[in-house]
Amino acid sequence: MTVSKAFWKITAKNIGTIITYSIILIMFGSMNMSGNSTTVEYEAVRPNIVVFNHDEERGITKKFLDYLGENADIAEGYEDDDELKDALFYEQVSVVVDIPENYSQDLTFGRKPELRLRSSAGYVAEVSKAMIRRFVTTAESYAALSLSENVIVEKLDNALKTDVKVEVRGAVDASRYAKATRYFSFANYSILACVITIICLIMTSFNRQTIKKRNLVGGIDIRKMNRILLRNSCIYSALVWLLYVVVGFIVIGAESLLNMHGLLYVSNAFVFCIFATTLAYFISSFVTNTGAVNGIMNVVALGSSFLCGAFVPAEYLPEGVLAFAHVLPSYYYIDANNKIMLLENDNFDAIWPVLLNILIVLCSSVVVVIITNIISKKRQKIA
Amino acid sequence: MKNVIDVKHLTKSYKSNKAVDDLSFAVKEGEILGLLGPNGSGKSTTMNCILSLLKFEAGEIKIFGKEMAPDAYDIKTKIGVVFQDVAVFDELTVYGNIDYFCGLYIEDKAMRAQYVEDALKLVGLEENKSQYPKQLSGGLLRRLNIACGIAHKPKLIFLDEPTVAVDPQSRNNILEGIKKLREDGATVVYTTHYMEEVEILCDRVIILDHGKIIASGTNDELKALAKIEEKVTIEIPDLAPEKLAGFDKIKNVSEVEYDNGILKIVYRKGKNNLIDMMEYLKENKIHYNKIFSERPTLNDVFLELTGKELRD
Ligand SMILES: Nc1ncnc2c1ncn2[C@@H]1O[C@H](COP(=O)(O)OP(=O)(O)OP(=O)(O)O)[C@@H](O)[C@H]1O
Ligand SMILES: [Mg+2]
Repeated sequence: MTVSKAFWKITAKNIGTIITYSIILIMFGSMNMSGNSTTVEYEAVRPNIVVFNHDEERGITKKFLDYLGENADIAEGYEDDDELKDALFYEQVSVVVDIPENYSQDLTFGRKPELRLRSSAGYVAEVSKAMIRRFVTTAESYAALSLSENVIVEKLDNALKTDVKVEVRGAVDASRYAKATRYFSFANYSILACVITIICLIMTSFNRQTIKKRNLVGGIDIRKMNRILLRNSCIYSALVWLLYVVVGFIVIGAESLLNMHGLLYVSNAFVFCIFATTLAYFISSFVTNTGAVNGIMNVVALGSSFLCGAFVPAEYLPEGVLAFAHVLPSYYYIDANNKIMLLENDNFDAIWPVLLNILIVLCSSVVVVIITNIISKKRQKIA
Repeated sequence: MKNVIDVKHLTKSYKSNKAVDDLSFAVKEGEILGLLGPNGSGKSTTMNCILSLLKFEAGEIKIFGKEMAPDAYDIKTKIGVVFQDVAVFDELTVYGNIDYFCGLYIEDKAMRAQYVEDALKLVGLEENKSQYPKQLSGGLLRRLNIACGIAHKPKLIFLDEPTVAVDPQSRNNILEGIKKLREDGATVVYTTHYMEEVEILCDRVIILDHGKIIASGTNDELKALAKIEEKVTIEIPDLAPEKLAGFDKIKNVSEVEYDNGILKIVYRKGKNNLIDMMEYLKENKIHYNKIFSERPTLNDVFLELTGKELRD
């Protein structure tokens, strides 16, 4: 009781921190920094694509080229590599497709030949790649049935006709979710900042040697006290999540969140709050000084947000940085937000990659809990 | 009277350093016991062992007749501790801090509010109750530290050098407060290296050195150990050597020392010694500026027993 009271009093004392990061989130999280307008018209989504075909123009390859022609503008005249790179960089071209030799045949025999795709940054490129993926996965699924090349082409004809309409809707929907993704990805920063600052401040206060001694001689079981602190920390993190969901509904607009996409965004953020809580406990297991909390929080929150693309879309970051980002749970949280944006239907197969990311963040939390326990056991032994 | 604390053969080492060495003593109900000793003599270590905050190699500790243990919560609820280092939450106000630590023991809200007010009054922090620790001066912070330790009206109170770095005015307030606590029925263990405090406050004193008890008893009993009855100090600007020799022959005088215009005389026995001294000064027409007499201090006891000063 008295412990909970102290917990919330200290939290209230630091309410300024929470307000500050919420305002930052509202300001920057609702701003569009990726360069693409969030209200992309379908016309604008029709991407420029460059195709290099090394296969004969027949069978599935022919079908593929037709499909690309229907859904995108095929740009001509790019020959040299540097020119292409510039075009990709300036987003004049969204995707460069290299179709390998014997593509049609290999696909038919289920050998899953790989297209070489080079893409520019940003949302249009993502849509283009999704469009290409659709063709490939559909074709591969027919190939898996051991159908002949001609039958596959026929089936593709029908399947893709209906799908093109989905493509149109999908494109528009994705732009509709760009704002939500921006907001929830930026929340990486605000969630980490709020959760780490408060929980670490409280835990370092309670862990201070002098206070700990006094608590130890107090008439209360120290393990019970730790349980109370943990429970309140969890409640606090849940409140931070709730706050950012409510703010999100206001900033993004409820109509684009009251559906499967919204549910995924919100669940993703919830799991990330769990991770932030475990991270805060991990940090307070070795930080003993309240003055250091802010510094560490800044390194963690700002650092992970930069590296994992909460501020700047990940495509703009150097490859080395991006490779490093892959070890950070923030990367999977933000990547999940990007994947949710591009979701076109609600079936399990489509959602699975998103769930996988959420699962990775959840597992990271478990790992952090285990490490924290090992550290604090070690510290107890020394004391 | 019952023993509130029984310590038997307590031994505690830090690696090869024996901080507490086969210590045995008891604290009686309602008394203020002083633990006096120079820095590093093992006062805090003894206290932390009694409170089960430290593991020790040997010994037995009973509080209120029961074995003390880290999970002896029934005993712990009746104890209040003021540690040597200030232990308060920077993020809570003066009131909030006392309320928190009191709340570790007292669940009832109304009762706790009353107790917190009482504690504020006891240490004289009523006007600072909505301030934060950072806004308090060193002395006020110490007082807050004390209030946090005793607000729940414990039956047994440990205070570890609560007055370090406190100005004399505040120190007197604190000592008065501790006396009040005893009047309300608490037993107090008071740790310090200020002998003056022990003399003012404590009923009984244990003098520690190198983790061992070198003497214990009431103030008077201890002073008897110093084998000094009285010390007289006289300021005489210039004293002729032949007249200095005469002091030795005055009745009861056992030691004479003259240095830098200050004459120090030690009496080991006798009464009314000062009157004899004044007569001698008058007869020999010795001019003096100041004269005063003191009873022996605990420092003299310490000096007598260990050959060194209590304070360096
Ligand atoms: N944590 C520790 N690790 C190692 N040695 C320690 C530790 N704490 C105390 N000691 C040693 O134990 C002895 C007793 O220390 P203690 O703190 O009990 O003395 P004290 O009488 O309280 O001194 P003070 O008046 O300075 O507070 C000292 O020699 C000290 O160096
Ligand atoms: Mg000490």
